Parts: sequence; structure tokens; C-alpha cells
Amino acid sequence: MKRLAGLFWSLLFLAVPIFGVITFAVAPAYDIWLPKDVSEHGASVDGLFYFILWLTGGVFVVTEVALFWFIWKYDANNKKSEVKYRHGSHVLEVVWTIVPAAVLLFLAIYQMNTWADIKMRRPNMAPTVEVIGRQFEWRLRYPGRDGVLGTPDDLHLVNDLHLPIDEDILIQLKSMDVLHSFFLPNVRIKQDAVPGMKIPVWFKAREEGVFDIVCAELCGWGHYKMKGRVTFESRESFEKWLEVKYQEQEATQASNAET
Amino acid sequence: MESFVVNNVIAWCCAFSPVGKAKATNLLGVISVVALSLLATGCGQTPAASFRLNLVESSKQQLTTSQEQQVATILAALFGTPDEPRVPPEINLDVAKLKLAAGPVRSDIVGRKNGLYREHCAHCHGVTGDGMGPTAAFLNPYPRDYRPGVFKFKSTERADKPTHPDLVMVLRNGLAGSSMPSFALLSDAKIDALAEYVKYLSIRGEVELSLMRAYFELDDEDEGVLPQSREFLFEEIIDPVTEMWAAADDAIIDVPDMPADLDMVASIAKGKELFYGNKANCVKCHGVSGLGDGQANDYDDWNKVVLQAQKTVDGGVKQAEKTSTWDMSAEERDEHRIELAWLDRFETVLDGNALRPRMIRPRNLRQGVYRGGMRPLDLYYRIHAGINGAPMPAAKGTVPPEDIWHIVNYIKSLPYDFNGTLGVDRPMVARDRM
Amino acid sequence: MRLAVSTVETKTTSVQDAPQKQETHVHAQPSSARKLSTFLSTYVFSKDHKVIGLQFLFSTLLWFLIGGLLALAVRWQVAWPWSDVPVVGKLFAQQGGQMAPEFYTMLFTMHATVMIFLVIIPILAGAFGNFLIPLMIGADDMAFPTLNMLSYWFMWPAFIAFGASFFVEGGAASSGWTSYPTLSTNVNSSPGAGWGQTLWLIGLTFVGVSSMLGSVNYMTTIILMRAPGMTMFRLPMTIWAMFITAVLQAFALPVLTAAGFMQLADRSLGTGFFTPEGNIVNNAIATAGGGQPLLWQHLFWFYSHPAVYIMILPAMGMVSDILTCFARKPLFGYRPMVYSVAGIAGLGFIVWGHHMFMSGMNPALGTTFMVSTMMIALPSAVKTFNWLGTIWAGRIQFTTSMLFALSFVSMFIIGGLSGIFMAATPVDIFIHDTYFIVAHFHYVLFAGTAMGVWAAIYFWFPKMFGRTMNEFWGKVHFFLTFIFLNGTFFTMHILGAVGFPRRLADAYHYETFHHLQPLNAFMTYCAIGMVASQIIFAVNFFWSMFYGPVAGRNPWNSNTLEWTAPSPPGHGNFDFQPIVHRGPYEYSVPGVESDHLMQTDPPNAAATAAAAAAH
Repeated sequence: MKRLAGLFWSLLFLAVPIFGVITFAVAPAYDIWLPKDVSEHGASVDGLFYFILWLTGGVFVVTEVALFWFIWKYDANNKKSEVKYRHGSHVLEVVWTIVPAAVLLFLAIYQMNTWADIKMRRPNMAPTVEVIGRQFEWRLRYPGRDGVLGTPDDLHLVNDLHLPIDEDILIQLKSMDVLHSFFLPNVRIKQDAVPGMKIPVWFKAREEGVFDIVCAELCGWGHYKMKGRVTFESRESFEKWLEVKYQEQEATQASNAET
Repeated sequence: MESFVVNNVIAWCCAFSPVGKAKATNLLGVISVVALSLLATGCGQTPAASFRLNLVESSKQQLTTSQEQQVATILAALFGTPDEPRVPPEINLDVAKLKLAAGPVRSDIVGRKNGLYREHCAHCHGVTGDGMGPTAAFLNPYPRDYRPGVFKFKSTERADKPTHPDLVMVLRNGLAGSSMPSFALLSDAKIDALAEYVKYLSIRGEVELSLMRAYFELDDEDEGVLPQSREFLFEEIIDPVTEMWAAADDAIIDVPDMPADLDMVASIAKGKELFYGNKANCVKCHGVSGLGDGQANDYDDWNKVVLQAQKTVDGGVKQAEKTSTWDMSAEERDEHRIELAWLDRFETVLDGNALRPRMIRPRNLRQGVYRGGMRPLDLYYRIHAGINGAPMPAAKGTVPPEDIWHIVNYIKSLPYDFNGTLGVDRPMVARDRM
Repeated sequence: MRLAVSTVETKTTSVQDAPQKQETHVHAQPSSARKLSTFLSTYVFSKDHKVIGLQFLFSTLLWFLIGGLLALAVRWQVAWPWSDVPVVGKLFAQQGGQMAPEFYTMLFTMHATVMIFLVIIPILAGAFGNFLIPLMIGADDMAFPTLNMLSYWFMWPAFIAFGASFFVEGGAASSGWTSYPTLSTNVNSSPGAGWGQTLWLIGLTFVGVSSMLGSVNYMTTIILMRAPGMTMFRLPMTIWAMFITAVLQAFALPVLTAAGFMQLADRSLGTGFFTPEGNIVNNAIATAGGGQPLLWQHLFWFYSHPAVYIMILPAMGMVSDILTCFARKPLFGYRPMVYSVAGIAGLGFIVWGHHMFMSGMNPALGTTFMVSTMMIALPSAVKTFNWLGTIWAGRIQFTTSMLFALSFVSMFIIGGLSGIFMAATPVDIFIHDTYFIVAHFHYVLFAGTAMGVWAAIYFWFPKMFGRTMNEFWGKVHFFLTFIFLNGTFFTMHILGAVGFPRRLADAYHYETFHHLQPLNAFMTYCAIGMVASQIIFAVNFFWSMFYGPVAGRNPWNSNTLEWTAPSPPGHGNFDFQPIVHRGPYEYSVPGVESDHLMQTDPPNAAATAAAAAAH
């Protein structure tokens, strides 16, 4: 009877690695997984994610199964067990210090380049667009025909960001009031918008499509409302759209759509 | 089996046996009792959302509770509830759109067919459209109260209602510089439904005000009850409101074309002259540097109502305190008591059902942020008709239409204007790391 | 509950002079006044570490309930946004029970604040630290009993401040428990940024002072008041953990307290530590400013990262003691375990920037913090392997306490491994501020520390109250909690992989996340089950205090010093001065008839021979 209890508890602990692996294995089938990536650098980010996933997954399974096995086998009601009076093993300590240390150090060095590419190696170009976070919207400012930000021909928009594909994009990120965070899940880009700072964000998109802009830093009650939309399109399509929006902005007569 | 149950029930009932019998069954009894009683407290759904009466107006009109009840009944019969809207066919609103906007919302239900207003608007504008949702008190400026039927940013003359496209434009673009966000990412059908619902709430609010004010006109023989006739209801109350809304499309401001060969520099110079001149007199409020630091001691119409009410109450209380009752007749004493009760109630209403009045500041024109839209057309509308509900006056009649374009061009140049030369705008803060 | 309190002074002959206690002077007082002052000084403002420990325990368990209920409201909104919320919906009757979005931001802010500052930190250091430290080292009380009493009573202004903040205009703080400026410094930015935030800062200051008073006491007591024979390397892991935690608190807390004052000054005195110039929030007048929002983040995380180790190390120590006791086996690798705890604490001071990878700080700093964060996984891994080594080849007794301790190991593995994803900066670009982070810290703090706390409660309950808790219901409590917590938190990892953001009042505002609603509903059901299961624990706890089976001095046959004292111990703790002859983990020593050899048992030739042979 008591041995049954021990079996029950050890099986409960076995459920951890089993259900853990099942959850991660089954999730992609339900579309609960990394979203589609349309950026150039996204492959290295996702690659690193998978590397760590397999590494930690392996360690997870091994340690949890070991835990289950020890609980199963060394149950006090299991007559066969005999306590081994040991205070430790010097060899084991050395092994399981050095090996994880080496793995972790390798992991650290392996990823430094990716981080530098995304955050440290800024392309030398003028900003494509200025994005200003504000409670609770994304205000956008395109440089306009003269290519310079801050002149009367700038195009001002809200929440509807369009960008060309297959080109380096440089975004100048600002905040009007509190902290926000410019998160493009499908481009693997995230950067906090800090009031008082102008922060460059750069990437290159490979594919056309319409995706979300999410605010990823608590900015008040409307944090959930800061939904923006980013549209990646070809250069010609982008320029055409800019022109249309510019004409709207400079309207001196009501268009037919409004009457 | 039965004895097993009975034994355990007895055990549970004697749960607190003092002999220290910590049997599992005793504990089970205690656990069950605690769990069930906790469950009972959490149960019970909150009643459905309901429209709130315009208590400030009803207090101002000194309506009795039964009169308020009468108003509420009429409104419910005409307009339904937040969950089930309806309109009499004389009021030209699309009920299908209203149904899409009305009703409770649950974000988890896919493909749901209603709840738009509650999802996007109610927490600021309130379920009744009174601009007093839970978040409203913390916003600057306050969200719009639709009930007076006054709207600031539109393409029609000052005293007219906005057109449907006007409302759609505000929903789509938001109001830059305020807490009203852009809903451009919603589908056209949804924006349309919301605009319709705003009109519905506005018409309902205006009808409510009209009904409340009608009590003042009653003769003694009416005994404080409004006439029940259809004639009264529609001809006196509803038609005046719907006619104004219907007339909006005809009241759109006639905007002259901006000349194609306009010399922008000259136009800006002329605009500056007019800005500082006596006809338009913009600097009086907008300040000599256009920073909005001119005269700023006024309130918008919605805040004025509350302010006036507060003054009435404060004045009344002061007066009542000065009045001595010792030489009053019984009748006069009764009246005095009723007056005090009314003042008391009004004070309570203002505390709980009105937002603290906030002074309105003239726009800082150097920021390039224009609430009603930044198109030259939008600025034309604002200058020509002023801003309904706000102290911004109409330039119509004082400034000729072509001259208004000059003022528009001058204003659009202001954010880039340093000592009269156009240049790149200065960054708003000193620390820029780029 | 039998609380044996006597006014008899036991003279202790400890290594150093014990602080002398004064008997209350009896003047010509009326007997009622004397009775009242005796009652107050015995039960209310007691200087006995055990009473203070229990005061902490009861207060923190009550706040645990409050924090859990706040979490349920959060989970309700995440699963069914804008639906009619039970109980809470009454506050929003006008809207038909639909909560306002600013209310949601307040809920998760206060949930985290209550759990971190009013539950986990005080229950580990205040409740268990206080109760166990003198008992386990063989002292009769703490080094500074008055200071100890003050450290509990300084919590009360914090309780009042945080509690009152729910009822002020604008509601409680709603800028996140991280309280980043300018959302927290500018009163116009959110409703809770008014009085709520000020009270929050005041509460935080009092919690900080309480912790600092406690940590000074613990360090002094552990260093100076150990029983004869109790060398540092014969201390149980619980004490090592409490000691190192106290060091962490002493060095890290002053930074947070100072930062809290700076934020208070920014809010009330018009200083600009964290406010940039010309900042316009909600159309208010532009600030004069001159400061940097990032400065707060650095100061805050300089404390709050060591804080997370403060929130786990004591649990790790207690789990080590419980595992050895119920595996009937010495701790595997005692010295590596001690060095690991020290390593975690030391490294813990140089990793704070990993909370700020996306913050706008210099990315090169991000690289350095990434390296140190990777390395801090190492001592935790060493500890996990040593725990596995401890139960290997043991004789495991499945008491409730042991089950919780085993689950600590199992769940900590998950929490620790998920941390490696965040340490990798490119991956953090994606998972920062998503539910992946929420999963990680709930695994280490709830599935880890809270399980450790329950293990400790079931284990030391007999010592505290003289009776054992009901084992059957304890196991039911464990089983339900284990199942429900995994149901609630494990799938948060995959939610994070989707990019599902934190702190959103309505995530389904984004069509992209709509299909995640059923999963969130499932998680909320599990959360409700989890909180409901705690009813079993609460009833068991209070019932057993009065009606549980009477426990002897050492119901678990454990080795450490507290089990030589009566259950519960009287004033002065021990019947006579304990003398320590060996380490705390001498279980199943060959050649010894009993399967445990207590630290105070007289020297045993067979045991010494066995020890020599085994190494």
C-alpha cells in the first residue's frame, strides 16, 4: 500500500517532463509558436532560440527523469534500497561545474555577433521615418520630398506605418511622454522608447505583408490600445502610398469620400 | 452506505469536537463549509449596464423624483437600453448599425455581433455618452459629453451639427494632442456603426435635456406631469433635434479654392499681419508668440455648465445660511426646507456626477499639433466657424474668405518659424543622442 | 496552540556574552495596568524571536491571500476581457461589471507588489529567519531582540500604506511593481500615479527599513552567537542561506531606499532625477526635468535583482535541510553547496542590467551583463545536481514536507532553464515583456519559493505549535497545488513564444492573439483551482494548531539543534546549553543503530570511524 503511494508520487514527477515535452511539441500545431518572421536578421535570432530550446530541453528531460528515477527507486518502502552514506564526490563536482560553465560560456560568445548586428552596428543613413510613442498611439513622421526630417513637407500619420522591403530601414524612435516600447514581433525587433532620448532602430524586411506593432512597455491604462500596423511593400508601392497620403494632408478642399 | 454517510455527517456537524479528534473527516467538514461559504459570496452577476440620468440638468431644473422617473420612462420607451437600443422611425438612424455598436462586450467571443461601443469607447465616454466613464476624470482634456449635441471639430457652420463623415473622420484620425485615439485600424463598417451610435447617444441626450427643460413651461394645471400626447413629444421635443441633425449636410462650410499660383511667402506675411491685426485678433488668446499664452481664463461649454451649477449651489447655500427662519410662516419654512434639500442634493450630484471644471487653454500654435486635423482645409474650418463649445470665435463675417487662407498658411509655418525665417524644427528636448 | 512563555531567565554560557535582558521593573502600578503592559510586551511587542517569527508568518500568510485574490482578478480579465467580473464587477455597476483598463493596471501592479514585498521577502527572512536562526545555531535569542521587535513593527506602516492606497482617489499604484518613470513620477500619467504611487513609495520605504533592521540582526547573530562546537561549516544550509541573504539585503536595499526617496522627491518636491526636460504628459504643463528615466531603472534593478535571490536562497537552504532529513542521507556536496550560495549572491550584484537589455542603455553594456547572467546559471545548476545527489541512494519518506521539497527541485529546474533564454540578448529582443518572462519568474518564485515555504511550514509546524499538521490533507493540498500551478504557468512559456505581451488589459484587441483565448481561459480555470486549493491548507493550518496530534521534540527524527528543544520552545529555547559535535547531515551513519545522529549527540566512536572510512 505504502509502496503504491511512492509509485504514485514518482509518477506525478514523471508527468513533468512528459507533459513539458508534449506541450512544446504540440504547440506549433495550434499556431501557438514563434510568429512568421520577415526580417533579415530574424533567422539568427530564431536559430539561437532553437539552439537554447534543444539544449535546455535536453537538460530538462535528463534532470527531471533522473529525479523521477531516484524517487521511484529510493522509496523507503522499497525493501531493496540501502542508504549510501556519502557526503559528495569531488570528481562529480568538478565535472558538473566545468561542463555547464563551458557550455554557458560558449553560448555567451556564440551570440555576441548577432546582438551587435541588431543593436550596435547602425547603418550610416538618414532616418526612413520617425516613430514617436505617445499615450496611446504611435505618431509617425516621414521626411517628405526633401528627405529631411523636421521641415514643413514632413508627412504626419498615426499608427499606420508603411516601409519598403529589401532596403535598410532606419527608424528614429522617440517618446512624447512616458516609456513605450516599439515591438514588431514579425521582424524580431524591440526597443524601448524613452522620453528625452532619440534611439535608432534598424532592420531589413524581406517579404511583403501587414503585421502588428505592439507596445511592449507599460505606459498607462491604454497600453493595450497602442496597436499599430506595419505594412511592408515594394518601393514603388511605398512611394505611391506616400504621395497619396501627402495629398490628403495638403488637402484644401473636401474630397468626395467625405461629403 | 447510508450509515457511512450518516456517520460522516454527524462527524462533520461535530467538527469542533474539543477532544482533539483531528480525523480527516472532521477536517473535511470544516473545509467544505469554508469553501462553500466563500463560493456563495462570489456568486451573483452584476446587473446589466444602464443609462444614467442627466442629474446635473435635473437638479438645475429642480425636478422631483417622480418627474425624473417620468423622463427615464419616456427615454426608455423611445431609445431602449445600452444592451437593446431602439429608435422611433422618425429619427433617421440605422438600427442595425446601432445594434452592432451596442450591447455588452466579451473580447473572447469570436465573430461577435455587437459590443463595439462598450469595448472601445465606454470607459472614457461613459455608457450614457456623458463623458464620465471611469477613466474620464484622469484625462486632459475630458472626453466629450455627447448629450448637449455640441461637437467641436466638423466641417459645418459653428452652430450646426457635424455630418456623418465628420464623425467618421474624428474616429478614424483621432484628435491629435488629446486622449482620443485613432481607430483607423478598425474596419469601415465598425467605424460607421460607432459614428451612428454616437449620434444616437447625442440625440438621446438632447431629447433628455429638452424633456427636462419642458417642465419649466408647464402650467399649474399640468400638475408637474408632461403631456402624454404624441404631438407634444414629437413636435415639441424630438423634431427640433432631428431637424438640426438632418440639416447638417446642407450646412457644410463653403470653402473657396486656394489660388494655384499663390506666392506662399507673401501669403504667410499677409497671414501674419492678420494674425496680429484687429479683425481676427488671434494674439489676444494665442499669445504674441503663438504659444497659447495669451488670455486664458475661460472654460468650454461643458465645463461652464458644471461651473455655473457650482456657483448656483454655492450662492444658494450662502444665501440660505444668511436667511433667518424665526419669523417665517409655516409655508415659508416648508419652502425654505425644500430649497435646502435641493441645494444639498445638487451638491451631492456635483460631487459624484460631474467632473471638476478645468480651464481651457488656447492652442500652442508652435507645436504643429492641431486637434481637429492638420490639413489646410481643417484649419480653414476652425478659423471660419470657430470651435463650437469652445471660446474660439468664428472669423466668418469679420475676415474675408481668401484672407482666411493667408492666416492658415501663416499658422502652418509657425512650428518652423524662428525670428521670421523658415528652418528645421528644433528638437523638443536638449538631449538627443544621434 | 501551546505557546509556552515563561518569565524565567535562562542564563546562557555561549561563546560570547549574550546581551543581558532586563526584567520588567515593578513599580506601584495598578494590577490592570501591569497586566496590560505585560500582555503587550509578551504577545504584541514581544522581543522573543519565536513570537516575532510567528507574527511575521501570520501577517504574510494573510497578505498571500490578498495577493492571490488580486491575481485571480488579473487572470479573469486576461481570459475574458470586458466580461462581468465576479465581486470586482460591483465596483463597475454602471458599465455592467466591465472593469476599467486602469483598474487592470492597478491589479497587476499591486499583485506583484504585495507578493514580493509583503509576502515572499518577509515570510522567508522575517518568519523563518527569525524563528529558526537562534534555534538552529544554539542561541537563546537574536543578538538584538529590541531591533528584532522593531523590524516586525516597521512592517505595519507598510501594511497600512499599501492597504490604504486601494482606497485613495485614483486607486492604488498602477505603474507596475517596477514603477518606471515617467509613468510613476508624473501624477498626470495614470490614475494610480497620484496618492496611490506616493503611498506605494512610503510602504516600500518601511519594508526596506524592516528588512535592513532584520539583516543586521541575522548577520550579527549568526557570526557571534553560535553554540560551542558550531563552526561555520557545521551550520545547516538554512542558516547559510539566511546569512548570505542577510548580506544581500544589507548591501542592496539602501540603493532601493535611496531611489525611492529620489522618486518621492521628483513627485512632491519638483526635483528632476528621473524626469527629462520638457516632458509633457496628458497635456499637463511641461516639466523642468533635467533627469534620466534610465537612472531609476539602474537603481531599481541594482536592488531588485539581488532581491530575487533574497527571494529564493532561504527556500533553497530550507529545502536542502528537508531533503536530507526525508532521504535519510547526508547532503551531497555540502561545501560546494555553500560556495554556490555565495556565488549566486556575489554574481547577483553584477547582473542587474539583464532586466534592461531593451531599455535604451548602451548595447555594449548589454553584452557584459549577458555574460555575467549566463554565468550565474552555473551555481544554481551545481545546487540542482547536488540535490539530485542527495536523494540518490537514500531512503525517501513521502511526507507532505518532502513532497513540497521535491517539487521545489523539479520546478526550479524549469524556472532556471527558462532563464537561459532571457539571458541570451538576441532572444530577449523577442521575449522581453512577454509571457515567457511571466512564466519564468512564476516558476522560480511560486513553483519554487512558495513550494519551499510550504515545505518549511509543514516541516517546522510541530516546532512552532507543538502539534503536527494533518498529513492526508497536506498531501491533497500538495497534489492539487502541483497540478493546478503547472496548468496555470507552464503554457505561459509557449504564449511567450508567440510574443503574447505582458500587462495588456485586452490582448485580443490584436487579431493575432485571438486564437490564444481558449488557452488563457484554461489557465484561468487552473488558477482558480489553485487558489481554491489553498482553503485546504488554511483550514489544516488553523485546525492543527489547536487539534492536531501532539508532537514531541523531534517528530521527523532530524539532526539539527532546534529539534533538541521542546515543541514549542520556551523563552530561552533550550533546556541547557547545546554543544555541537558534528555537522547537521549525519543520517544513516554506518555503525550507528539509529538512522540519524543529532548534532548534539555525544561523540560516537563508530560514527567517527565510519566518517574516516567514507572519505
